[in-house]
Amino acid sequence: MSSTTTITKAPKTRPPAAPINILDNDTAKLYTHIHPILVLSLYAFQFKSIVADPVPALLRTLIPLSVLQIAYVAICLPPTGSNATPVAPPKPGQKKKPVPGKLESGIQGKIIPAFLSLLLSTLAATPVLTITLILFGAPIATHHAHTLLCAAHISLLATLPLIYVHGVEGEKWREIVALLLPIDEVYGAMIGAVLGAWLGAVPIPLDWDREWQKWPVTIVTGAYTGFAVGKLVGGTLLKGKKISFE
Amino acid sequence: MDNGEPSPSFEGLAAAFAKAKAEKEREEAQGLRARTGDAAIANKQGELRFKTSHGLLVAFFTWILVLHVLGIYLFTSGFLLTRLVLEQKSECSVPPIDLTNSYISSSSQRGCWHPKSFEKAIVIIVDALRYDFTVPFQAEDNEKPRHFHNAIPVLYETAVKNPNNAFLLPFIADPPTTTLQRLKGLTTGTLPTFVDAGSNFAGTAIDEDNLVAQLRNASKRIVHLGDDTWHALFPGYFEPNLTHAYDSFNVWDLHTVDNGVTDHIFPLLHPSNTSKWDVIFGHYLGVDHAGHRYGPDHPAMTAKLNQMDGIFRKMIDQLDETTLLVVMGDHGMDAKGDHGGESDDEIQAALWMYSKQKLFGRSSPSYQAPPSTARERPVAQIDLVPTLSLLLGMPIPFNNLGAPIEEAFIGTNGQDYENLAIVHRLAAAQIHRYQHEYAQARGLDENARASSLSLWTAANDKWNTLGGKKVSLDQWKDAFTSYVAYQSETLSICRALWARFDVSRMMHGIVILAGTLVILAIYARGLQGDRIELTPTLLSRGIIGTTLGVIAGTGLGIVVPSFPLEHTMIFCTAVGGAAGIGTAFRYVRRRIISPVPNSIWGWISIVFTMALSVGFASNSFTIWEDEILLHFLSSFAVLTLISSFRQKDAIDRALGCYHSVLFIILTRVASLSRLCREEQMPYCKSTYYASATSSTSATWQLGIPFVIAFTLPNLIRSYYKGTRSYQGSAILWLDFALRFGLLLSAAYWTLDAADDGDWYPGYGEILKTIKTIVAQITFAIALAFGYSTFSWAKPLLNIETTSNNTKGSAEQVVADGGTSQITILGYANVHGSRYSLLITMWLLAITLVQKPMGAGVIGLAAWQIFSLFEILDTNKLSDTPVGPVVLGLLGSFHFFKTGHQATLSSIQWESAFIPLRTIKYPWSPLLVILNTFGAQILCAIAVPTLVLWKQPPKKKGLLGDVAKAMGTHLLFYAVINLATTMWAGHLRRHLMLYRIFSPRFMAGAVVLLVVDVVGIFIAIGGTRLSFLSVAGVFGWT
Repeated sequence: MSSTTTITKAPKTRPPAAPINILDNDTAKLYTHIHPILVLSLYAFQFKSIVADPVPALLRTLIPLSVLQIAYVAICLPPTGSNATPVAPPKPGQKKKPVPGKLESGIQGKIIPAFLSLLLSTLAATPVLTITLILFGAPIATHHAHTLLCAAHISLLATLPLIYVHGVEGEKWREIVALLLPIDEVYGAMIGAVLGAWLGAVPIPLDWDREWQKWPVTIVTGAYTGFAVGKLVGGTLLKGKKISFE
Repeated sequence: MDNGEPSPSFEGLAAAFAKAKAEKEREEAQGLRARTGDAAIANKQGELRFKTSHGLLVAFFTWILVLHVLGIYLFTSGFLLTRLVLEQKSECSVPPIDLTNSYISSSSQRGCWHPKSFEKAIVIIVDALRYDFTVPFQAEDNEKPRHFHNAIPVLYETAVKNPNNAFLLPFIADPPTTTLQRLKGLTTGTLPTFVDAGSNFAGTAIDEDNLVAQLRNASKRIVHLGDDTWHALFPGYFEPNLTHAYDSFNVWDLHTVDNGVTDHIFPLLHPSNTSKWDVIFGHYLGVDHAGHRYGPDHPAMTAKLNQMDGIFRKMIDQLDETTLLVVMGDHGMDAKGDHGGESDDEIQAALWMYSKQKLFGRSSPSYQAPPSTARERPVAQIDLVPTLSLLLGMPIPFNNLGAPIEEAFIGTNGQDYENLAIVHRLAAAQIHRYQHEYAQARGLDENARASSLSLWTAANDKWNTLGGKKVSLDQWKDAFTSYVAYQSETLSICRALWARFDVSRMMHGIVILAGTLVILAIYARGLQGDRIELTPTLLSRGIIGTTLGVIAGTGLGIVVPSFPLEHTMIFCTAVGGAAGIGTAFRYVRRRIISPVPNSIWGWISIVFTMALSVGFASNSFTIWEDEILLHFLSSFAVLTLISSFRQKDAIDRALGCYHSVLFIILTRVASLSRLCREEQMPYCKSTYYASATSSTSATWQLGIPFVIAFTLPNLIRSYYKGTRSYQGSAILWLDFALRFGLLLSAAYWTLDAADDGDWYPGYGEILKTIKTIVAQITFAIALAFGYSTFSWAKPLLNIETTSNNTKGSAEQVVADGGTSQITILGYANVHGSRYSLLITMWLLAITLVQKPMGAGVIGLAAWQIFSLFEILDTNKLSDTPVGPVVLGLLGSFHFFKTGHQATLSSIQWESAFIPLRTIKYPWSPLLVILNTFGAQILCAIAVPTLVLWKQPPKKKGLLGDVAKAMGTHLLFYAVINLATTMWAGHLRRHLMLYRIFSPRFMAGAVVLLVVDVVGIFIAIGGTRLSFLSVAGVFGWT
């Protein structure tokens, strides 16, 4: 992950990270609150079929979820490298573009980064999360499709917006994983989704004999709930706060 | 101390000190400076001070241990079933109720209370004969018969072919399903109490009235053959020259007992010998041992059952007219062939009676064939007592609660309800007499048994209306059912009554445990600075309080008669001790800080511990504890991974990430070793043994200990090499002794498999001898050689002298000056590396007593422990409670992974025979403990290293850190113990009490005591040796 060179470099760069603000327009301000409602409604609407037969239902739900998440990041969030995030582009010489106007920022500025984020969260984050789920006790020999789809849902919820706003820079992602960034609604949503999935394991062993206790329904439910709660709390109550381990 | 030279910036204080010291020593060695007398005296004083502090610390923790023992004892004595044992015996001449006018004999010649049917009896117990072994296999959806099916058809065949000569019924045991308990039930006819379950290692004589005693009183000559548990229960009852007893606990021996019984029983059946005896009790153990050793689904079980089949066919041939033959199982066995609990498979045994006379009947033609499953028409095991007593003309034992078995008294036509009513009236009357005496002795009011009393009156009223005239079948039947109603109601009242708990004892036990918990919590987490300075105050006040408590308790117990002396004394002792410590805490109040954590590590320690504790209130979370622990351990490592990413130092970051990921992966790999408890089915697949229905290892599993032997010493070595601590004794111990020991242990399990599977027929005896010797040598290496190494080894240091013109390596401590420089190799981890030798010694001993799969798991556990040291060091967490708590989680996790569950039947009793061929006290129980709690023991021994790993040798207050870490570790187990205790007490009426909550409570209590003892005497005790050794080089000042 790191080497001594990182350390020697550290002092001269990197201004303190600031929380992500949503774009300063009315649509963004409105949609950021509608989005979690839509996501939860989608999940609630699909819940019965997910319980009945998780694999096809989870697979089906991925498409509307991607659409919603892409819409969310495109409407509400500043893409990586834009002015709203203080992350310096990799090449120091390159000049920052001025804030793009509303019209300019259309397809090129937003939809393409959003689709790249979708691609990355599916291809990079999903396998990592699948392995994590298995390490946490997901069945190792069976239910592979279940686990993979569960991971895909969590990564769409948690990592797609993060990739969109923070890009793929190594040091940035070290800070993300190290929980060093200040909390904002994107970061909060990620932490919320992961914590929700973690807590989602609690009801599995109970002897209630409910259909919905089957793998991975509770985990996905926890992730969706955690996403909404984390996004709300991260965007309001805890905004700008930093996580301390000490 | 610094001699004036400016220290290079990378050296810390300790390094500077050591440098000066090295300088001084070099000068001393060169004779430049005489060792100052003052320094030597100061050193002596320092050593004395350390020894005193250490002794006081051990004393303090021992005092905590005593409080734990008192609390657990008090709770246990109120929680586990208690039943008053009445001394009264039934007498032949004193029937419990007026006999019917047709019968007045009252002598054992004709039958005491009822005419007898048989002169003699042969009672054969086939240990663990489960009901489904005896009935034909009925396939459901193409299911194939297992090895235990259709292997002993004789019982079923005779019962179907000659229903008047034989019957076969399911025979339901009252748990606990251990042989000793069952024999008590089968001879006294009363319900077992739970406390006795633990006394299986040392049976004690039955002093209640029982069938064997009645037979003896009637001057019957009783012969016993087989399982020697009978002699512990009935010492001196049997004809000495005909009786042959065999050791019952060598579960790996399938044939000695059985062949002994068979060899001696058939000569007795010969007509020339039948006059020498009246009753034979034969006890076959082969089926039980085949179950324990191989599991029921194994060809050895088929062979064993076939052998039994042949024996009973031969017995039927040789039986005479006047002798009754009874064959029964005392309990069943679970899917792995073990027993002890109360699952259906464990309690469903079989009962078969046979006689040459046509005597037995069925009340309905549909009952002609024996039930196809044990759910239909079962009889209780206690029903055997009145049945046998009346058939042999004996009085029914005084404490009996069973009812005569219908088939034995209903007559050949199945219509003799008169006889049935008479025998049930007798049994019910004896039960009534017993209940009356019991209520008086216990001081119970009549309300408790009002329902049964009214049934008794009703039954007697029915009986009295029959009055002499022509009585119809239905009237007899009516009387019979009323007596049955009385008997079953009384039985259920007794079950409830004897499940009655002494709530005040339980409450006081919990109060003691909770108080001790608070003391431990403040001691471990709520004190500032070095605990060693406070130990004398705490200990002295604690002991003063305890002494006052003993005096007050004794006084109160004697003066106030309503307070039971023992109970009052224990409670006052503990309260006095807690009060004493309370004043001590007040005295040192300036040092007390809030134990509420101030970092995420403190919080997750609390969250994990509390979440587990709360979860024990739910049977599901208790059942799935292993998976929950996996979840928690992974969560911990993910947090340390995150924390490692936060580290500024690149090396710390890389090491922290590496070891965190390693820790998660090792946890998950270990989690693949599972031994499922019954309640986890069907969501769990056992992998600990060759199959779910076996208790032997698969051939590939035998390779695991060898892999461990070849890799583990290298892995541990790599943790030593990081700080160049792989020096001196470590080379000899880790690379040679430990590896050789692990190889021997691997060889042991291969030899064992060879012996088990009979790979070399005819060499079994030699194999047994060799493997026992191999095990003994391994133990000698681990403990004798290991402890001598640990006691005498110098710290793992080496001095490297290089000439000055080469560039010295920066991470080593350097004493430069002159033409050469001295590097002390291993300096950076002198305490940690020295003490951790102790972990590897016990690792070897624990590995040996685990099955091959368990050896792999213990190896992984050791690897994880060393990774944990690195994780804590790179993240600078050695001061937080998270290390000791995670070791607690890790120990509990690997308890499950080494093939255990919180159930009685998962205890691997056979581990007592690894280095021994017979039971030897105290070694056999200790071996079983080392097998059962091996993982917790290993983790407890590792606790001191958490605070010693990579600490500077002269760091102040290291012993206090050890005390703090150990206090936290014990605190974890104390919380778990208190939680399981409280839940068991609270849920004492829960349906799942004896299946889930009570075993978990017992496991929690035993684990706490074991970890207390190990933590105090092995771990803290071990630090004494290692500190003395380090100070031998670095001095005390």
